[in-house]
Amino acid sequence: MAQAFSLFTVRDSILHRFHPLTKLSSAGFLFIAGLILPGTWTAYVVLVVIALPLALLGKVTRAWLAAAWRVALPFIISVFLVQGFFWPRGTPLVFLGPLSLKREGLVFAIASTGHILAVVSSFLLLALTTRPDMLMTALTQAGLPGNIAYIIVATIQIVPRFQAKAAAILDAQRARGLETEGNIIQRLRAILPLVVPLVLGSLVDVEERAIAIEARAFNRTGPKTSLIEISEATWEPPVRWVIVGVMVGMVGLSIWLR
Amino acid sequence: MSSRFKQDFTTVTLVLIPVAIAINIAVGQTIYTLKVPLYVDSIGTVLVGVLAGPWAGALTGLLSNLIWGLSGLNVTYAPYAAVAAVIGLLAGLFGESGWLKQWWKVILAGIITGLVAAAISAPITAYVFGGVTGSGTDVIQAMFQSAGFAVLPASFGQGVSSDPLDKTVTYLIVWLIVRALPERFMARFPRAENLKG
Amino acid sequence: MGDRGGDGGDGGVEYLVEMIALDNVTYTYPVTTTPALQNVSLTIPAGQFCAVVGANGAGKSTLAYTLAGFVPHFYHGKLNGKVTVAGKDTAATPLSELVLDVGLVFQNPFNQISGAKFTVREEIAFGLENLGVQRDEMLARVEAAMRVVGIETLADRSPLALSGGQMQRVAIASVLVMRPKAIVLDEPTSQLDPIGSREVFAAIRALAAEGSTVVMIEHKLEWVAAFADRVIAMAGGEVVADGEPADVLTDESLLTRGLGQTRYTLAARRARELGRWPAERKLPVTLEEAVEGFRK
Repeated sequence: MAQAFSLFTVRDSILHRFHPLTKLSSAGFLFIAGLILPGTWTAYVVLVVIALPLALLGKVTRAWLAAAWRVALPFIISVFLVQGFFWPRGTPLVFLGPLSLKREGLVFAIASTGHILAVVSSFLLLALTTRPDMLMTALTQAGLPGNIAYIIVATIQIVPRFQAKAAAILDAQRARGLETEGNIIQRLRAILPLVVPLVLGSLVDVEERAIAIEARAFNRTGPKTSLIEISEATWEPPVRWVIVGVMVGMVGLSIWLR
Repeated sequence: MSSRFKQDFTTVTLVLIPVAIAINIAVGQTIYTLKVPLYVDSIGTVLVGVLAGPWAGALTGLLSNLIWGLSGLNVTYAPYAAVAAVIGLLAGLFGESGWLKQWWKVILAGIITGLVAAAISAPITAYVFGGVTGSGTDVIQAMFQSAGFAVLPASFGQGVSSDPLDKTVTYLIVWLIVRALPERFMARFPRAENLKG
Repeated sequence: MGDRGGDGGDGGVEYLVEMIALDNVTYTYPVTTTPALQNVSLTIPAGQFCAVVGANGAGKSTLAYTLAGFVPHFYHGKLNGKVTVAGKDTAATPLSELVLDVGLVFQNPFNQISGAKFTVREEIAFGLENLGVQRDEMLARVEAAMRVVGIETLADRSPLALSGGQMQRVAIASVLVMRPKAIVLDEPTSQLDPIGSREVFAAIRALAAEGSTVVMIEHKLEWVAAFADRVIAMAGGEVVADGEPADVLTDESLLTRGLGQTRYTLAARRARELGRWPAERKLPVTLEEAVEGFRK
């Protein structure tokens, strides 16, 4: 599992024991609530009241906060700078030389930061507490086409190999004199010698991989069984329906309010 | 087009898609280390569109961004899944229309795709991310806004300043790659006729 | 070579005297003009371990794909003649049925790991899941397959985090678990280091010992001489020799047709040139034969 391209960390937590679909709907709820509900500070309320307890329940708080911060920081800095100073026709609050901080821009930036954090946190929470293959198995049992599930799991597993291949090609080309630092023209020139070998080399494998899958009866029509069994508590399915119901309600409400 | 649906999703297509998404991610990251003003994170998506049709291309784009997000590598890609899906769809349509057979049409396809991508990205950038991308193009956003444009149109302006170039480079790379593929290999894919001649 | 009497069998297992039969088979890939297989006719009885040797491009891989049904169903192209495997005409039987009768293992271990599963155990079970086998039976069959190839300790590891030899054994187990009537291996060790090769040959030896019909394409002739009941040599898409390892691997005329020789044969040939090996004595193909011959 360590090889797979995912954030999943094994923890003995209550959240980890939930059914994958429960975690998916919770993350979805967080995403929708943080994004759609009106109000500048709403997203923050959602984060503190719902996301944080979930993270604590999953014993992933530190990793979650660190990752969320790392991902969101460039956006937060940008949004405050861009919207704070350059809000079109805004009311100036403070003057800093030729620039001025606009009130509307600041308000917008605060709301946007809430949105960004909601989006980032919901995905991260799901990724940290859910094994991707379990999630895919659960979705397949719930009706997701097997092909889609296959694509997602296979991608997650082969990406590290491709990253390694890309790094190896980078090293090999550098050793043959390819300039990857220096001026912009040199760096642009480096694109083809790095990209083309990677893609061509990868496409060669596609034929054999297709044969291998066929040889394992993947295309057989008819019911499939599963080696791994996913357990869920009895309260989970009804709670999931409630969550989804509220989500739909929120979307409807925000459309109606506009 | 619906009659081709089953034909397009052969086993080879199914196996191609994870490889294409992995290419998107590995190339995207390599380009990032080169520190050039390009993303080049859709080579796989365009390739699938051209080789296996619009729906396969759309699926590749959609899943590519969702996986990029779920993996934690770049969570902010996830909301743009719809944009990536459209890029794949367009690649399939351009492929069907034989645009990959002449270099100037390849460039035009890239420009058009870039403009459409900018148009669809703009509302996402504006409403989810407050009009910023966390990268150098935010300067352009600031410029448009200080000229009086609201967040959404300024986001479109920001997109137009980077997407058409990025997608044109992507299409040219894909074009070079399919030209380098031997014919016996090309025959494996459902839409090989897009590239013959 | 073992005739297995067939008793057709009400309720019993059908014994096929002929597991594989090719009748004047010629095949050309699409977009090419030269046939990859030319007038190939051979029969392989059930339970035999048959090795296929020859230079690159001789048609060996094409033969492997033909036995497994991927020629013509996957590759299309033009197939003339009749290919019968496990009693079925491959051209007339759907590929989804053929893959259950013939298992295929090829060179690149990585390409045979589906990527759909996170542990070796699940990866091996993948084919059985697709076939809708009940969970208890799946677990039992997977354990058995892992034991045959010697990878029980790897059951919970990620299949993509293994060495080449380990991955290849997972691939063999994944094929074995589906209980095919015949197993075709196309240069299974060519991408492996010596340790990996040894592990894989041990696994192949184990599955042959269980009575499977095995067709193995291989360049490492010392291993061929050690395992195979029969050797088929190919060149230019045709079968140019067919018989016991000791005969085929010492055949002078084949040296010009791209076939190599084992180290022991080479040593004895040199010795013969120097007058140290009697001209009329048979050349060795295995270490034991060489040692015995040189001792005399």
